[in-house]
Amino acid sequence: MAKVICDHCHLEFDEKVMIKDEVNGETLYFCCKGCQGIYHLLRSEGLDDFYEKVGNNKLEPPKNIHDDLHKFDLEGFKNKYIKEKDGFYEINLIIEGIHCSACVWLNEKVLHQTEGIIEATINYTNNKAKIVWDPDTIKLSQIIEKIRSIGYNGYPYDPKLQEERANKARRDYYARLLVAIFATMNIMWIAIAQYAGYFTGIRSDMKNVLNIAEFVLATPALFYTGWIYFRGAYFALKNKFINMDVLVITGASLAYAYSVYAMITHTGEVYFDSVTMIITFVFVGKYLEVLSKKKAVDAMDNLMGSIPTELTIIKDKEKSIISVEEIEEGDIIEIKPGDKIVIDGIIVNGEGNFDLSSLTGESEPVYKKEGDEILSGSICLDAVIRYKATKNFKHSMLSSIVTLLEESISKKPSIEKLADTISGYFSLVILSIALLTFIGWYIHGVGFEKSLIIGISVIVIACPCALGLATPMAALIGINTASSKGILFKEAEFLETMAKSDTIVLDKTGTITEGKPKVINSKVLHPFDKNLLYSLVKSSKHPISKAIVKYLKESDENIKEYYLSNLKNIEARGISGEYKEHKLFGGNIELIKEIGVDFDDDINSTVFVFVIDKKAVAYFELKDSLKKDAKEVIKEIKKRGIKPIMLTGDNEKVANEIAREVGIDEVHHSLFPKDKADMIDKLHKDKKIVIMVGDGINDALALSRADIAISMGNGADVSVEVSDVVLLNDDMQSLLDALKISKKAYATIKENFTLSVIYNSITIPLAVMGYVMPLIAALSMSLSSLIVVGNSFRIRKLK
Amino acid sequence: MSSNILAMMLGVSTFLGALGLLALLWGLRTGQFDDQEKFLESAKYDTEEELKDAIALEKRKKKIIQKKKKKEEKNYSPPD
Repeated sequence: MAKVICDHCHLEFDEKVMIKDEVNGETLYFCCKGCQGIYHLLRSEGLDDFYEKVGNNKLEPPKNIHDDLHKFDLEGFKNKYIKEKDGFYEINLIIEGIHCSACVWLNEKVLHQTEGIIEATINYTNNKAKIVWDPDTIKLSQIIEKIRSIGYNGYPYDPKLQEERANKARRDYYARLLVAIFATMNIMWIAIAQYAGYFTGIRSDMKNVLNIAEFVLATPALFYTGWIYFRGAYFALKNKFINMDVLVITGASLAYAYSVYAMITHTGEVYFDSVTMIITFVFVGKYLEVLSKKKAVDAMDNLMGSIPTELTIIKDKEKSIISVEEIEEGDIIEIKPGDKIVIDGIIVNGEGNFDLSSLTGESEPVYKKEGDEILSGSICLDAVIRYKATKNFKHSMLSSIVTLLEESISKKPSIEKLADTISGYFSLVILSIALLTFIGWYIHGVGFEKSLIIGISVIVIACPCALGLATPMAALIGINTASSKGILFKEAEFLETMAKSDTIVLDKTGTITEGKPKVINSKVLHPFDKNLLYSLVKSSKHPISKAIVKYLKESDENIKEYYLSNLKNIEARGISGEYKEHKLFGGNIELIKEIGVDFDDDINSTVFVFVIDKKAVAYFELKDSLKKDAKEVIKEIKKRGIKPIMLTGDNEKVANEIAREVGIDEVHHSLFPKDKADMIDKLHKDKKIVIMVGDGINDALALSRADIAISMGNGADVSVEVSDVVLLNDDMQSLLDALKISKKAYATIKENFTLSVIYNSITIPLAVMGYVMPLIAALSMSLSSLIVVGNSFRIRKLK
Repeated sequence: MSSNILAMMLGVSTFLGALGLLALLWGLRTGQFDDQEKFLESAKYDTEEELKDAIALEKRKKKIIQKKKKKEEKNYSPPD
């Protein structure tokens, strides 16, 4: 069977299943009607150079068109998402299905050619589109239809929630930074003339012109860019404390005021160059901070993009597809086998098995029927179910992750707060030293100008420097590095606490182990046709069936599937089916007993028995397997002097076996959630700093008591909520990475403090003695900041 | 060299530079620098066609605005 590539989406399929099409004597292949339709549409519209532009990129075959276009023209929808401007309508959409820049081009092109659309721009970076149209010529539903007709989909989002704010802050700071840089660059070359004139002599009228030019450039830098510092200083003084902003702005304003005086009276030198440089260099640090916040918002949008955006709901006996945000309490939602639940609710119709492993840690699926509650995060395995929503989307797990991210970027760690109070005192001390220096030199008789300049030098050189940047830079880069590895630190503070911890408590199921069973032992009691068993277990999505399918496939590559009739799921016990005259059963011991088959059940682990015509022919023992790298990670943790302890609700035998396998010495088994929490308290009494790692609701209590609570990303909502760190990748390697990053970040913070203290203790006395002029002070200050920033960036280098 | 010439040179160059800066700030404020990837990606497709498209869009906008104005004028009846 030859594989051919679909001429639209470029995905590869067997030649047999492809749709053949003859166009101008050329044979084309399509994987589906949708791709074929789009190909012909693009050709007829003269847009077929899209295929040239798309190159070898693979596209997504178009999905079935939903029948929900009418919702785009509803009044409620309009009020929520559409803005009106000069009689035109404007909407923000996220375009789904964009894979490359050619897709952006195609969408823009098609929209541009549509009558009635007067603006359509799509962002290449985040695939968000802004469309402006004339409501008299075209309706939004027609625009969406157009986008869908070429194989993409658009759904609206509200930019006011996150994006606008982040974008505005970034633009604002960027604009201020640009002005500052412009002023600095231009002042520098004027300053060169000034300095040359200082040493070789200059006519006073020339000097005057240069002074005025510098004044013109320094003014916007101080008052526009420096506005941020004026504001910060104002709030600080209003609340009766002194911070770095006060120090920066005092230094800069004093230098500016003196320079204006010198310029007007034609006496002495001007220091406008120092003013702009102080402002610019310090402002770069602030800008970096804002930039990282913007990145966090983009990360949030990506997270939101990874969850299903639309669900099928039943309203007035009709199915419709609406976005998850619009679902309200009481809506009836329909889910199909394999769907992930995103909204909590109560089943009103249907019954089936649910994989709750991410919620409870139990690998066994749970059978749920009418009236039972289902939680978001669980997966429907084998039935079509209708349920009533009891919560809206905002209270679901992914929304809370987004909140976590927001918190982690806005809250300051305690050590940083400490730095803030220190820097408050520090600022006060520096201001006093500067004042004393000025008075000292003035009394000494060097004149007003020289004394003032030396005083300013002291302020400038001590300026925000390392101290102010030491913690935030290291914390920011630490959190950033972590999030790029799928580790979310809720607050930067936790980097510090985690670095100091000495005990790590781990839950077993879902944390150390996969939470998915695997066949470890099988025994054939009577010879039988393995294809029968394969066909039977293949029909079920139950994790145990899946494990057996995998096992059979691995042991025999040529295994075939037969057609079985009367396939049935027997709730939470097994499956049955018929092949010719034979009745087949497969399931756990309960099922075997129920159908009256003799079976010796001296087995402790989970067991699956296969029965043909009331005779047990084979059984399989299944066990949960260790997560990848679990053993190595535990070894590494031990190497770092942290003691691992395992807690589990499982029985002694299983617990000890897993503990031995993974290399943990201290194990506590058969624990209820409350016992787990008590264990943490006991460790606290021994003055231990405890990290707790867990994933289920059963761990939530213990997590809330630990110093650092780490939860797995697909864990239960509750455990994610109470935890301080979330591992999105769900693996043990992330745990080790989190430890490494926190240790490194903490070490870096300490290094930064040491560096800045050394720097200040050398430079401040020099400045007081009058060896440093303001420009040099500004340069050396930014040098020290650069050292701190550079030192912090070393955190990124972690493997 | 007289200081007037120096002042003029400084003034003109700073003014020109400031114009550039203002243009940049205008671009920034109107969101033209929000999409970092656009600089490289869209350059690939920046042809005469795109220019024609942009003109067509402008024309369409003008036409619609004119039509709307006409409509308003029609609906407008001066008080007797």
